[in-house]
Amino acid sequence: MTAIRRLRPRVRVLLAAAVILLFVAPIYLMIVNAFKTQPEILRSPVSLPIPPTLDNLGTALGRPDNLIQLGLRNSLITVACSVALLIPLSAAFSFYLSRRRTRARAAVLAVLAAGLMVPPQVILLPTIRILTWVGLDHSYPGLILSNLGGGYLSFAVFVYVGFMRSVPEEVVQAARLDGAGGVRIWWRIVMPLVRPATATVAIFSSLWIWNDFLNPLFILGPLQGQTITTGLYLTIGQYSVDYGQLFGIMFLAAIVPVLGYLAVQRQFIAGLTAGSTK
Amino acid sequence: MTRTSRAGRKNRAGGENRGLFGFAAVAFGLYGCFLVLPLLLSLRSSFTNENPLRATSSFVGLDNYREAVGDEQLRASLVFTLILAVGVTVAANVVGVLFAMMLNRTTLSYRVMRTVAFLPQVLSGVIVGFVWQTILTRDGLLNSVLQRVGLTDEPVAWLGSPNLALVSIGVVVAWILTGFTTVVYLAALQNIPLELNDMAALDGVNRRQRFTRVTWPMLAPGTTISVTISLITVLKLYDVIAVLTGGGPADSTQSTALYIVQLAFTSDRFGYASSVAMVLLGLSAVIALSVTNVLRRREVNL
Repeated sequence: MTAIRRLRPRVRVLLAAAVILLFVAPIYLMIVNAFKTQPEILRSPVSLPIPPTLDNLGTALGRPDNLIQLGLRNSLITVACSVALLIPLSAAFSFYLSRRRTRARAAVLAVLAAGLMVPPQVILLPTIRILTWVGLDHSYPGLILSNLGGGYLSFAVFVYVGFMRSVPEEVVQAARLDGAGGVRIWWRIVMPLVRPATATVAIFSSLWIWNDFLNPLFILGPLQGQTITTGLYLTIGQYSVDYGQLFGIMFLAAIVPVLGYLAVQRQFIAGLTAGSTK
Repeated sequence: MTRTSRAGRKNRAGGENRGLFGFAAVAFGLYGCFLVLPLLLSLRSSFTNENPLRATSSFVGLDNYREAVGDEQLRASLVFTLILAVGVTVAANVVGVLFAMMLNRTTLSYRVMRTVAFLPQVLSGVIVGFVWQTILTRDGLLNSVLQRVGLTDEPVAWLGSPNLALVSIGVVVAWILTGFTTVVYLAALQNIPLELNDMAALDGVNRRQRFTRVTWPMLAPGTTISVTISLITVLKLYDVIAVLTGGGPADSTQSTALYIVQLAFTSDRFGYASSVAMVLLGLSAVIALSVTNVLRRREVNL
């Protein structure tokens, strides 16, 4: 009995290791096979790439349509512009809201909460029509505007309102007595106090906008230069037999979000669990 | 008189906040233009026979909704979507609780697991879809391994036969979501005071009772979040299914989200697509609200 009890922590660790292996298996396949030749992949898909070949990556980067380079560039531009506008807009909106009467605030938050539930397919068609009216269809500004107004704003405001409630009223009053205006108080005093909220909003909205599929596919259209996500979808089908090429392209497409995630994973998980356990 | 004084008070606050009000107005305006307005336009379209190939469109009243009631393909897509949503939610949450209990307190694996479990969420549905496609297609990696080991002679059509395709998609989506559910449950587990378990142990409660009476109820707030988000995610899922099967074979894995896009962009039936979109919205709202309601009440009752 005691022997079993002494074994149990070890069994636990082994089990956990097995679980981790199960989890990484598909990602492991993507990584190792990006560095193998086609015959090697077919012969032994799960083996390590020894010796590794860089041919797949080279071919992917040398494509005449520049799928990877243009896709990464377009995704970076879209994400950077969307998030750079989303953060000040949603934070200012939230601060403004957090200083309003409770009932008005609850009403506005209810309207925003409804937005979180709307499947993107429901508003896709009319969004394209609105962009056409203002002459921004098939353009990056159009995509960025619809990112800003669509579901991400709701999410950002919810994160900020939660944090801004904890900013003491006295701090704001004191600044006001010193003659600071609303924008100044918000930007110089409140924003530094809610930095964790800004980190959460920045991380999650970047990730979602980077991975977004429907909006770039239908708002930009196939001819306007794709983000990496839609570019993959539109071009990769033809490689379904050439595993080397497929894994090479996917490896290069995945590397930016994965490295970004590894860099900020502490904040990523903190942001995720903050909402779920109160 | 009251009006001026109220206006005066407003003005004072407004003077301080004018810049801030500007930001807030822009933010709310964008939300109105790109969420509320599209929603209203979609509702309006659902009563018309709009078609981008025709210049004019006219109101057809409830015709689209009447058509929706008899639409076999819509019914099939709703059934598929609901089965997938319920199946994936149950699987991802059961496995999430199991993983969380297994990983709780083993610090090293906890840290590694947390990092690793989230990778599927970080990758786009398109990449996840293609990786799994290389694994699951007829001449894919899973079949080649199974055949080499001698478990099957014939390659299995994981994505090629209707029932297996449903299960395969479910496994992939559950794989994506389980990282999220595991971390939510882990966080909830670590919020349970240790004394509670010790007290239960002192009272001679066995392991099963300790789970059903102590751990599981204490996980309630985590469950609410985890179940609701799982359901909403699957109800609007598009990219993973589009890549894995594209709705096939023979429309058997066509979710309602895919059907809407097909109606709008392949069949050019904007009006009807909008009414199907309204059906999906109504369904999502009813499911999300009632599930949250039930789970919240459970939290309060503790």
